[in-house]
Amino acid sequence: MRLLRYFLFRLLQMFPIALFIVVINFALIHMAPGDVSILLAGEGADPQYMEEVRQRYGLDLPLYQQLGAYIGQLLQGDLGLSFRTREPVIGIIAERIPATLLLAGTALVLASVLGVIIGAVMARRPGSAMDTAVTTLSISLFSIPVFWLGLMLILLFAVTLRWLPSSGMVSIAGPREGIGYILDVAMHMILPVLSLSAIWLGQYVRLSRASVSETLAEPYVTTARAIGFPERRVMSRFALRNAMLPIVTVLGLELGLLLSGAVLTETVFSWPGLGRLIYEAILSRDTPVIMGAFLIMSFTVMLAALLTDLLYAALDPRVRL
Amino acid sequence: MTPGLAKTVRGTLRSLPGALSLTVLAVIVAAALLAPVLGLPDPAEMAFDLYQSPNADHWLGTDNFGRDIFARVVWGARVALVVAIGAALLSILIGSVLGAVAGYFGGWIDGLLSRVFDIFLLIPTFFLILLIVALFGASLPLTIVAIALTTWPRSARLMRSQVLTLKSRVYVQAALAAGASHWWVIVRHVIPNGIAPIITDGTILMGMAILTEAGLSFLGLGDQNLVSWGGMIFEGQRHLRLAPWMSIAPGVALLLLVASLNLLGDSINFAMNPQLRTRGGAPKARTRVAPPANEPEPTAETPILEVEDLRLVYTAGDRKIAAVDGVSFSLPRGGALGIVGESGCGKSSLGSALLQTMPNNAELTSGTIRYDGKAIVLNGKPVAEKGRSRIDALRWTRMATIFQSAMNALNPVTTVRRQMMDALRLHKPGIGKEEAAARIGEVFDMIGIPRSRMNAYPHQLSGGMRQRAMIALSLILEPELVIADEPTTALDMLIQDQILGEIADLRERLNLSLILVSHDMGAVAESCETVAVMYAGRIVEIAPTRRIFDRPAHPYTRTLIGALPSLTGPLEDLASLPATDTEAAASATGCRFAHACPAATDLCRAQVPPAVDLGDGHVSECHYAEDFAAEAADPQEARA
Repeated sequence: MRLLRYFLFRLLQMFPIALFIVVINFALIHMAPGDVSILLAGEGADPQYMEEVRQRYGLDLPLYQQLGAYIGQLLQGDLGLSFRTREPVIGIIAERIPATLLLAGTALVLASVLGVIIGAVMARRPGSAMDTAVTTLSISLFSIPVFWLGLMLILLFAVTLRWLPSSGMVSIAGPREGIGYILDVAMHMILPVLSLSAIWLGQYVRLSRASVSETLAEPYVTTARAIGFPERRVMSRFALRNAMLPIVTVLGLELGLLLSGAVLTETVFSWPGLGRLIYEAILSRDTPVIMGAFLIMSFTVMLAALLTDLLYAALDPRVRL
Repeated sequence: MTPGLAKTVRGTLRSLPGALSLTVLAVIVAAALLAPVLGLPDPAEMAFDLYQSPNADHWLGTDNFGRDIFARVVWGARVALVVAIGAALLSILIGSVLGAVAGYFGGWIDGLLSRVFDIFLLIPTFFLILLIVALFGASLPLTIVAIALTTWPRSARLMRSQVLTLKSRVYVQAALAAGASHWWVIVRHVIPNGIAPIITDGTILMGMAILTEAGLSFLGLGDQNLVSWGGMIFEGQRHLRLAPWMSIAPGVALLLLVASLNLLGDSINFAMNPQLRTRGGAPKARTRVAPPANEPEPTAETPILEVEDLRLVYTAGDRKIAAVDGVSFSLPRGGALGIVGESGCGKSSLGSALLQTMPNNAELTSGTIRYDGKAIVLNGKPVAEKGRSRIDALRWTRMATIFQSAMNALNPVTTVRRQMMDALRLHKPGIGKEEAAARIGEVFDMIGIPRSRMNAYPHQLSGGMRQRAMIALSLILEPELVIADEPTTALDMLIQDQILGEIADLRERLNLSLILVSHDMGAVAESCETVAVMYAGRIVEIAPTRRIFDRPAHPYTRTLIGALPSLTGPLEDLASLPATDTEAAASATGCRFAHACPAATDLCRAQVPPAVDLGDGHVSECHYAEDFAAEAADPQEARA
């Protein structure tokens, strides 16, 4: 009940943010050099379609009415047509989402679970040589450009060692169903997931190290030790449980960064997700697709933030309306 | 250079990652600045020797147009640094001003700006930048502006919180009172004082900016007229199999530059807050010793707790601070001892030593603690028997503690009942659910917490109730000795009195032995029959409660009693406590209190005072103890 109310409250708060993002998008289209109708319809569109776009978006009307028309189109799920394929942008994007979710989700789970564990272990011995080494290493990890790491992994594991495929999601002549298909996809996933999670592993190790060592200095941890709880239980029941709160928050907030990493990774590995789509759209100057992708990404991040809040509220009894 | 800044710089240079990253940065900056005069081949010059692997002529090989990769990497450093510095400066400029305005004026401006900061946190910034660059055309200045447009809220947030703490500072208020305008105060006083952490964060911003620009270039949205590392990798990708060096070199350069920036920021951060590195942690393993041979069996007369010459030393950086410096006392079974002193006198450290819950930077350098005649600490080392520390066998079942509950002493994410259940089951693994529930209910009744509040989380209880919950937790396993560390601080007077009354009452009913640590002479007087006054790590006077109030024999005790407001007596000037100069006290060759004592003589400054036994358990460490004791205390100051 408490969670439901909280959820609805947070959902309401998201509306102004969504509006803000739409307005930014709208403002950018109008500020960009060139004719708005060309941006919306794509370069080289035939005059008839161009006229249709002008009508639909009310491009001859005053600006505020144009904004209204634009929001109206968006509410109908109309993100325009791809200039390249002439298909609705929303459909093109929806097609690509599962692949991106698979890649980013796997990397997120892998990096956060491993990161939290390593960080928590390091927090037990703050200032030790091991701790300093791991801290330095994790900083170096998230300083690596993710696309470059991907290339280097391809160079090593695909080109030199020939252990793993370097691109795509499935083999060309591979199985299309059953366990064989799953294994095939898994093989293709290893390298992209590895590059994406390596970068984020560094981030999460640091985050969890800081958060856990912070909670280990809290008075309730001293109470737990005075009561006589063994250190392992102090860590799990008292320190980690409380340290999860800031970790979860940051995890939710940085999803946008994770997605941008995913885009770059997909580009390197020709992974058929949103990132690859954006890359292709950039190359062919397919503006409607780029704008649509930005909107969808923004809403995804907002949704993730909402879920994070909910998770936070479930973890922390102090959250109230 | 201010001393704080000098310290930060020294600290940064001294740490290995700090020195290393500064060196790498210096090399990259030098290369970028000197690029035109290094005599390198033109980075754009095409030649016929395509795809050459690294060799003597081309240290890093050549690319698909025969261009020299080393020259291109060096020139690329310029673009990377321009992006880093430009974006960070712009971001800090916008962020500091807006953050300062939000924090300084508060109200609706703050509300509005904070909402904007929040929104920016939720926007996937890389895509926004990508969209801007895709719409407006790829150029370096535009990329820089776009990056700054999405990163400024980061600086703004930092500045806002800085300003919130700076706003109330005296010099800011003074400038305002002197008639300075708000803008003048912001520009002249607030921003310069709050900028340090923002600049530190600037190194992180620079790293982010470089990676963003590289990412854009890699997607083909880089400035086509410039040599950028990201762009080089973009081109190298297509020739990965044929000429891997084309992508390796610029990537390594990127990694080195960004990692140095991040490491530098990290090192500065730690140099500014050294405790960040070593805070918390699991308790370190301490050398344990075997119990002494032929310990006598305890009798009814054996004191429940005996402490002899206990010393606890903290290590902070290169400094050693003796927080407890040779403390001895003994507590009879069923007795109550109050330990009083101002904050920093070592009383809480003493408490943590008794419980063996000291932080890792604390060490017992000497001393013996006996519990019921059995040594639990011998010569500063924990005593273990059959592989188990003796203190562990005492925890909570025989010796429990009441912490100050306002300070998060209870786990905030677990209900009070659950916490009591966990403690109960830890020490009585076989206990049944119903029996445990019954016991918890019993303790709640005893402490006076309504059973309906059992399932509350700590934050749902009032301050007084929360403190009662802490007491209930400490009594759940019927201990013999309870150590209460400031149990009533931060509660209002009325509740303080209630809680203290309840502790005194429980003590009688349960025949508890009690150690009550407090800064409040009055709190201790009500519940303890003996009072020990601590000053700068030592017990300077110990005596039966009545005696210490009637005939205090140490000038420090006198000031403590003098500082006690009397509710019944006439209002008079309270003798204010002289501020303890810990350094002066620790380095004193004579009496520790001499530097602040109104009655100090040359003798006091030259010689450590002996422990003067005044009879009936009254001991004072003062050269003039007998003189002070002989003077009857001012009857108005003594609480009869």
